[in-house]
Amino acid sequence: MANRLGAMSSASAANQGAKSAGNPSRPAANGNVIKRLQSELMALMTSPTPGLSAFPAGSDMTKWNATVTGPSDTPYADLTFKLTLSYPANYPYAPPEVLFKTPIYHPNVDMAGRICLDILKKGGDGSEGAWSAVLNTGSVLLSIQSLLGEPNNASPLNGEAALLWDRDQTEYKKKVLARHQEPEDVEAADVA
Amino acid sequence: MSGSPPWSSSRWHSSQAGFVPHHATSNSTGRLEVASSPPDVQRSLSAANIAGHSSLRGMRRLEARRQMEEANFLSSKARSQNLNPPIDLRMLDYVTAYDDNLMCPICRCPFLDPVVLAECDHCFCRDCIRQTWASTYSPLGPRGDCPSCRTPAKLGPRSATSKILVNITDDLLVRCPKSEDGCKAQVKRGEVQDHVNIYCGYAYMECTADDCELHVLRKDAAEGCLHFGVSCLDCRQSMQKASLETHWRVQCPDRKVSCELCKEAVFNREWDTHSRETCPAISIPCPGKVFGCNSRSKRSQADVHAKSCTFAKLTPMLTAMQQRMDEQEAAQKVMVRKLEVLEGGFQAVQTILSTKQEDPDQVGADESRIPLLTGRPHQRGDSGGMLDAMVVETDVGAFVFPPPSSSSRPSSELVHVRAGASLPPLYSAPMAPGPRPADLPEPFTMDFDMASPFPPPAANGPYISPLHHLLSMHESLRDEMSRMSAALQELDGRQSMQALNENLRTREEISYMAAQVAGLSRQVHWLTSAQLQRQQHGGAGRQAAGAAGPSGSDIAGAGAGVEAAVSTAASALRGAARIVNAGQGMTMRRGLSEEGRTKL
Ligand SMILES: [Zn+2]
Ligand SMILES: [Zn+2]
Ligand SMILES: [Zn+2]
Ligand SMILES: [Zn+2]
Ligand SMILES: [Zn+2]
Ligand SMILES: [Zn+2]
Ligand SMILES: [Zn+2]
Repeated sequence: MANRLGAMSSASAANQGAKSAGNPSRPAANGNVIKRLQSELMALMTSPTPGLSAFPAGSDMTKWNATVTGPSDTPYADLTFKLTLSYPANYPYAPPEVLFKTPIYHPNVDMAGRICLDILKKGGDGSEGAWSAVLNTGSVLLSIQSLLGEPNNASPLNGEAALLWDRDQTEYKKKVLARHQEPEDVEAADVA
Repeated sequence: MSGSPPWSSSRWHSSQAGFVPHHATSNSTGRLEVASSPPDVQRSLSAANIAGHSSLRGMRRLEARRQMEEANFLSSKARSQNLNPPIDLRMLDYVTAYDDNLMCPICRCPFLDPVVLAECDHCFCRDCIRQTWASTYSPLGPRGDCPSCRTPAKLGPRSATSKILVNITDDLLVRCPKSEDGCKAQVKRGEVQDHVNIYCGYAYMECTADDCELHVLRKDAAEGCLHFGVSCLDCRQSMQKASLETHWRVQCPDRKVSCELCKEAVFNREWDTHSRETCPAISIPCPGKVFGCNSRSKRSQADVHAKSCTFAKLTPMLTAMQQRMDEQEAAQKVMVRKLEVLEGGFQAVQTILSTKQEDPDQVGADESRIPLLTGRPHQRGDSGGMLDAMVVETDVGAFVFPPPSSSSRPSSELVHVRAGASLPPLYSAPMAPGPRPADLPEPFTMDFDMASPFPPPAANGPYISPLHHLLSMHESLRDEMSRMSAALQELDGRQSMQALNENLRTREEISYMAAQVAGLSRQVHWLTSAQLQRQQHGGAGRQAAGAAGPSGSDIAGAGAGVEAAVSTAASALRGAARIVNAGQGMTMRRGLSEEGRTKL
């Protein structure tokens, strides 16, 4: 008959096999999320895209830091912006949450760094989201980079910026530069 | 893993001394008891089987047997799943690289049970596309938009891809999922479940001992029942013999494991530090990595590489230079700001000059800025020289490099001082005009537009330097001055001509009047003498000398009086002519003096 030792043995097996496949103590989906994120990271490292970078923030694979450099010929040229990405447990069936950490003056980004972009919203019945499971970190960052040069002024989060974009590009650029902070300064502010 | 074990070790006091048979421990009911029932079922089933074959008692009997077999199959399956859960094929490590085209775009693994969407030919794992469409339920089966191209699509019963793709992905080599536990096997993906279920030495199976219901690793099965308590000789922790090996390999803090890289035995508790920092076999990047050396060498050979690597040798110098460059950059930023301030100053100068333009009174005030008509080249040279000196000084300030010895001191301070020194002359010149000359000319009106040579600053276009800007302004001022003097000369000439004409007319009138007066005087003279002759005739004839005498002398006196009056009038006329002449001279002088003032 089963005894205490048996229970102990299975407990220790579960303990030592924390990383082994199909461990019942962890949800299987989570393992798949991490596996997929590892695969994305590998792809980003082996074929990097100029102006974009992304890397896990720490030991937690589902929280990443990223940087995006503004495209040339836009008011954001040569500026670098820091972002954070947070992947849900049902990634890639739901989009990651992306936030600007560097303050940015843009029609589709609010003061808290939240981004209004269709591919960052989950689609489905009635909703306008355009997230697709085949999108990944690289394609999301690429979309954000192109959003810098081509804002969607029809549905702005920052109405003033949307108006100024159409009216006075010189003044717009001034505002962008006034709002922007170097990533090092942002870090210093975070520490303080 | 060296923390407190998930069970209380105090219960095992009695068994710490060594091996204790597991039967001595108390029973407990757990979920394993459920798993323990199937063998009994199996035994009874085989009995029923035999009975069924021998008697053949009809359909009811067969039906009952079928049900029992099914129950048996399910329970044994449940038990084997409990021992070895089904392998999640997406979690496998692939031994060899595979073609990206074999990768499902959703889970980024080689396709598992791939399906093709008939509408657009895109291919996904069946599970992946089902889960993608999980939120859009339809009674007609899974349907939704293709994740790759957004074509509306559905999953039909015949959506499976060709067998070739399935075979290719199933033949990819993977590591055994128990590789963390020690299994070195590499098998085809399609066979990995069989490997774990049947062959893998690190998968669990039931203990071979008849009276033991626990499970052991397959490789240990031949050693008999290992389910008795032991305590680790190194760390004194209690456990079962069956799990001792795992404890030694992963957990025991006082046991040494051999490092695969450096072949050295390292204590488990020091393993983290060893693998991260101290292992001599771990390759570390060259110290000159940031400057371009991509070489990595083992920690033990890092010094050898550093001695031969040019980058590593240059690293201290390059780092110092980098630091200096950063400082320069910071200094340059300060300089750019200074330059902006300076340009602002020049703008101020410009606005001051153009306002003075509208109020010519003040133009005269700053004598040193506005050259006289004659040019006064020495003065212009002076002011230009001053500006030159200023610009040069600014340039030196912006591009001066600190001596190498003072690399630690930020050069921005130095630059700041220099830039500050060059500021005062710039500001003082336009802001505080020199003392006004005492004999200020009164404002004069101008019949030409003087503001025109000074277009607004924005339209002036960029100048090479503020100095050029000032010089060009100076030039246009000088042009303006010559235009002004030409205009004044013309005016002067016209005025003197007018005065001359006027004088001529007056003189003619005066001479005409003088002739008239002379005529009058002759008439008076003739009348007077005629009167005197008549009186002499009458007086002599009629001896009224006493009465006539006085009257005759009266008339003579009156004639002399008229003569005197006429000569006085003539002299008055001459005086008038003189005055006219003098007036003309005065006009001339006035014109000259005005010209002189304008020239000033
Ligand atoms: Zn898939
Ligand atoms: Zn498609
Ligand atoms: Zn194996
Ligand atoms: Zn046993
Ligand atoms: Zn131990
Ligand atoms: Zn080592
Ligand atoms: Zn090197």
